[in-house]
Amino acid sequence: MSAVGTPHRYVPLAFLAFLLVLPHLLPNAFYVHILVTMAIFAVLGSAWNLIGGYAGQLSLGHAAFFGTGAYVSTLLVNRYGISPWLTLGVGGLAALLLSVPIGRICFRLQGPYFAIATIGLGEALRMLVLHYREITNGAQGLTVPFKGNAPWQLQFDSKLPYYYIALAMAVAMVLLARWMERTRLGHYLRAIGQDQGAAEAVGIDSARAKARALALSAFATGAAGVFYAQYTYVIHPDSVFSLGMSVQIALVAIVGGVGTAMGPVLGAIIMEVFVQSTQVAFQGEYPGLELMVYGGLLVAVIRWCPRGVIPWVSRAYGAVIGRLPALVRRPVPA
Amino acid sequence: MSAALLEVDRLDKRFGGVHAVAELSLSVHEGEIVGLIGPNGSGKTTTFHLITGFHRPDGGRVRFAGRDVTGAPPYEVCARGLCRTFQVARPFRELSVLDNVVAATLLRHPAHAAARARAEALVRTVGLEARAGTPAGALTTIDQRRLEVARALGTEPRLILLDETMGGLTPTEVTEAMRLITALRERGLTLLVVEHVMRAIMTLSDRIVVMDQGRWIAEGTPTEIAAHPAVVKAYLGREYRHA
Amino acid sequence: MDLTTLLQAVVTGVLTAGIYALVAIGLTLIFGVVRIVNFAQGEFVMLGMYASYALWKVLGLDPYLSLLVTMPLLFVVGVLVQRWLFQPILHAPDLAQIFMTVGLSILLMNAALFFFTADFRSVKTPYAEAALRGWGLVVPLPRLYAFVGAIVLAGLLTVFLGKTDVGKALRAVAQDREMAMLLGINPWRMYMLAVGLGAALAGAAGSLIVPFFYVFPTVGVVFGLIAFVVVILGTLGSIQGALLAALVVGVAESLGTLFAGADLGLVVVFVILVVSLVVRPSGLMSRA
Repeated sequence: MSAVGTPHRYVPLAFLAFLLVLPHLLPNAFYVHILVTMAIFAVLGSAWNLIGGYAGQLSLGHAAFFGTGAYVSTLLVNRYGISPWLTLGVGGLAALLLSVPIGRICFRLQGPYFAIATIGLGEALRMLVLHYREITNGAQGLTVPFKGNAPWQLQFDSKLPYYYIALAMAVAMVLLARWMERTRLGHYLRAIGQDQGAAEAVGIDSARAKARALALSAFATGAAGVFYAQYTYVIHPDSVFSLGMSVQIALVAIVGGVGTAMGPVLGAIIMEVFVQSTQVAFQGEYPGLELMVYGGLLVAVIRWCPRGVIPWVSRAYGAVIGRLPALVRRPVPA
Repeated sequence: MSAALLEVDRLDKRFGGVHAVAELSLSVHEGEIVGLIGPNGSGKTTTFHLITGFHRPDGGRVRFAGRDVTGAPPYEVCARGLCRTFQVARPFRELSVLDNVVAATLLRHPAHAAARARAEALVRTVGLEARAGTPAGALTTIDQRRLEVARALGTEPRLILLDETMGGLTPTEVTEAMRLITALRERGLTLLVVEHVMRAIMTLSDRIVVMDQGRWIAEGTPTEIAAHPAVVKAYLGREYRHA
Repeated sequence: MDLTTLLQAVVTGVLTAGIYALVAIGLTLIFGVVRIVNFAQGEFVMLGMYASYALWKVLGLDPYLSLLVTMPLLFVVGVLVQRWLFQPILHAPDLAQIFMTVGLSILLMNAALFFFTADFRSVKTPYAEAALRGWGLVVPLPRLYAFVGAIVLAGLLTVFLGKTDVGKALRAVAQDREMAMLLGINPWRMYMLAVGLGAALAGAAGSLIVPFFYVFPTVGVVFGLIAFVVVILGTLGSIQGALLAALVVGVAESLGTLFAGADLGLVVVFVILVVSLVVRPSGLMSRA
């Protein structure tokens, strides 16, 4: 019996195939840029979800990891000409190392206290980066030296390769989340997210589990930061270390549905569609209008579906899948 | 007399002005069922919190299976074989009944398949197999209590602290719960049980320890305790003068 | 570094602490009664500032007089926010509450940006440059008035909570909602009152600082963050705690600016937050 033949398997595969072909169907590079942005946020939302969704630790300081990855990578690329393919790992590692003290400090706290602590640490890091100009170039930020089409330097003329790299990262994150759900760590995180005290009472070392999840989350976020730096060529503290970025990262997971593997992907798509359509509608004429609608939408979504959009979507998806035929006939039991 | 499995030695805890537990000592030997009774507010649940690491004691020691576990974090105490249930059930509400128990069985069986198999067996033991897939938050109170017990058993403890599992149950349900507890002892478990349902605790316990206002006031067999003047006074107050 | 400079920093810190206290008290009141952590508290300050600015611009109203308008205005805003936004999610998980107020914060900030543009605005008052001088110290009058105003309002609130029936009802709901209901107190009204008051205090803080602070859409962010640090340090729900903690934070920030530089003053505040969360998470006033 072929597992691929069931709708459960072939629909996501078909979707993936569609995503691979999609950029070639689009009229111009601008649309590919939108796809790249969606993919980046899908990675970021998925990474956040590991600690924020499954374990319920609502971090509003993930930009610290994003920015660390971006800055460490760009500094290494600029100063020592190291290939960004390598610094993807180094940036991720730097973010992971940063997550250790942050976790130690913040994980003693729960709920809003935790969120506030992460805001404080994130903002403090941003200010420090702004302050130590000799290293970080302060508010002016850093630029990746332009090398034209240089695949070994993770720079391409066309947007397509960037898209495929980002897509690969997003797929990896979804698979990671799916895999984790079935492991001990995944179970433990969800128990902690429900009731940390009860989790401890059945033998779960919550500090260790959270630290592990945060390390994974930070690594992925840092790597995404490296990619972002390479894609946009320019980074500054107010774009990659900002509270706004932290909020956006969390929102992607929340709007889509926390604690699910596909939620952040859905969230990234929704958010980007929203951002782009408001930009088109308002043509950048009215500063603030877009974000105002954004804030209003957030308030409305929380007010009416606090669990995010995915419960509805997954119900609809489940209904559709149920109606699709299997491609391979199952052998009838004797 | 062999060394006790659980030894509590002059445990002490204050909360602000309240002396919740005052120099409490007790011991539980392997295979025993020890009942812990006392009027409301006598510090029984706090004692459980202190033994299992939910609160740090201000003084005193806790020894389990020969090791000092005073002030150890709850997960470590549990890993050593000392597990507890909560007076007000604390299920993982959004997880299914089965997943609730899996969270516990993963402790001794890190591999998912094995953990799941053991969890399924436990769910059957406590009679929840019909609801294995239900989110725990949707269970009735008594089913949530069953789940608490299943979860505790999932960690394969040597000693379980049961905190008022029978509160609010009908007489039939109490009998069933008593049967379950006896079955647990037959499986080799040791139990320290806090209970207000007198019929149950008098029947089940090998020994009973009585607390009042945070202190140990008496200890003995159920028969001895039932007639003990200090116990009667604690429950009924100073005005009661019947001999 | 001479003593005068140091003292000056302390004095400035104390004066600023008054405003921090006012914003923080509003925040702690909302948390104490409704149990919602209001990430938009700083934006209520911003609204107060813009309201005072508008009143000054259009009617020439002195900012301190505008308190009579901005406080009721923000009170109404608070009541509406509680009724339409907070009340439906009172039993929702933490995540919903946090992001609701974060969303509100984004909404308000950008509404200000949209309606008023990003331009920095300021209010010019005749006493803007006036100051008390002595012993080498300078106490700018507007800051002094703001400090006094903040203390007065905090005092009035304390009296209100302690001596009036409504105030006691509010405290009752904060302590034990079920019990309060059994005593005939309507908790929903108390919630609206709490959020209304919390917003009004923030708005008042805004009006009080407008004479010496630029008005711009994101001005509330800093106040919101600092208010959080103050509330956490002073124990969530405690007004005396907020006052004490505000003093610590105000002076520490001022000294931090003096020793580490203007852009790192806030880092000092965050360091305080982290230290306080690690050493004594429930705050100075807790009984742990």
